[in-house]
Amino acid sequence: MKRLIPAALLLASCGQGGSPNVQIADAWARETVADQTSTAAYLTITNSGTADDRLVDVLAPEPIKASVHATENSGGISRMREMASGVAVPVGSTVELKPGGTHMMITGLRAPLHRGEALKLRLRFAKSGEKLIDVRVAPASGPESH
Amino acid sequence: MRTVRIVLWVLVAIAAATFAYLTLQPASQKEPKGDAIALSGMGGPFTLVGSDGKPFSSSALSGKAHALFFGFTNCPDVCPVTLARLVKLRNELGAGDASFQILFVTVDPERDGPSEVGKYAELLNSPVTGLTGSPAQIDQVKKQFGIFSRKVPDESGGYSVDHTSTVLLFDGNGRFTGTIAPEESDKAALAKLKRITA
Repeated sequence: MKRLIPAALLLASCGQGGSPNVQIADAWARETVADQTSTAAYLTITNSGTADDRLVDVLAPEPIKASVHATENSGGISRMREMASGVAVPVGSTVELKPGGTHMMITGLRAPLHRGEALKLRLRFAKSGEKLIDVRVAPASGPESH
Repeated sequence: MRTVRIVLWVLVAIAAATFAYLTLQPASQKEPKGDAIALSGMGGPFTLVGSDGKPFSSSALSGKAHALFFGFTNCPDVCPVTLARLVKLRNELGAGDASFQILFVTVDPERDGPSEVGKYAELLNSPVTGLTGSPAQIDQVKKQFGIFSRKVPDESGGYSVDHTSTVLLFDGNGRFTGTIAPEESDKAALAKLKRITA
């Protein structure tokens, strides 16, 4: 999925000086109950480097699928859309994927995710390459609530 | 001469009645302005299907304050976020789970049967009344409560559902008293919930 985008972004970034330094924190996914096949995961990305970067894809272990989505609320209506061009992580910025906003949509779950467990996700950045992270499964209300 | 006078008075009466009809008709018959949900003409009796597969009549809500939210169970973000927030606010009110009832009505009856709409209570470990019904029943209830929803194809060949994400609040007399929007602060939402449970 979207294999061409990282390549295109890499080409577009040629000639730009510096390199990004991307760090991931506070990754968590909402727990699920039996027969629930989808959920959402959230995290914070900080870029303390000297060049912009972009989260272009999220990969989950088969058969689970992951993609970056945005929830937009306007005029009392909630709409969820895939972010086909990924998430920009400019130099010096901290980008939050949080409930009610941009999130990683997780689908194709065959078994429930129980709190305390970890889900492995591979984040693919345009310049920083792939980062394998452990996403902690937390209660529906969020990791701080219990 | 007398006949003419009578005819004239009759015409005056007709003109007055027409004027009164045009200016005093109930607000609910007029087009809603923008996205605001009209306070009058909201709700009314309904019958849906509970998570136990049995009919659920709105008469069961008589005398109970309630918060009504429409969504779908394949919704990974805004639906669990909204319902988890209502549960959290109900806990903060400190008056127990009976202080107000949380109702979740699916706008996706094709995928959400009784067992699916019961999932949120299990997930949130708190009483949340999940309701489904036939597509015709759901359409009727959506109309009664001014709810919008539309299926949107997603990238994996399935679909997501755009839908009204505003929570509707009703007091113990079944009166529609206001809404909670996703972008509203917890403080403002809590004040509104206090009002319906007072």
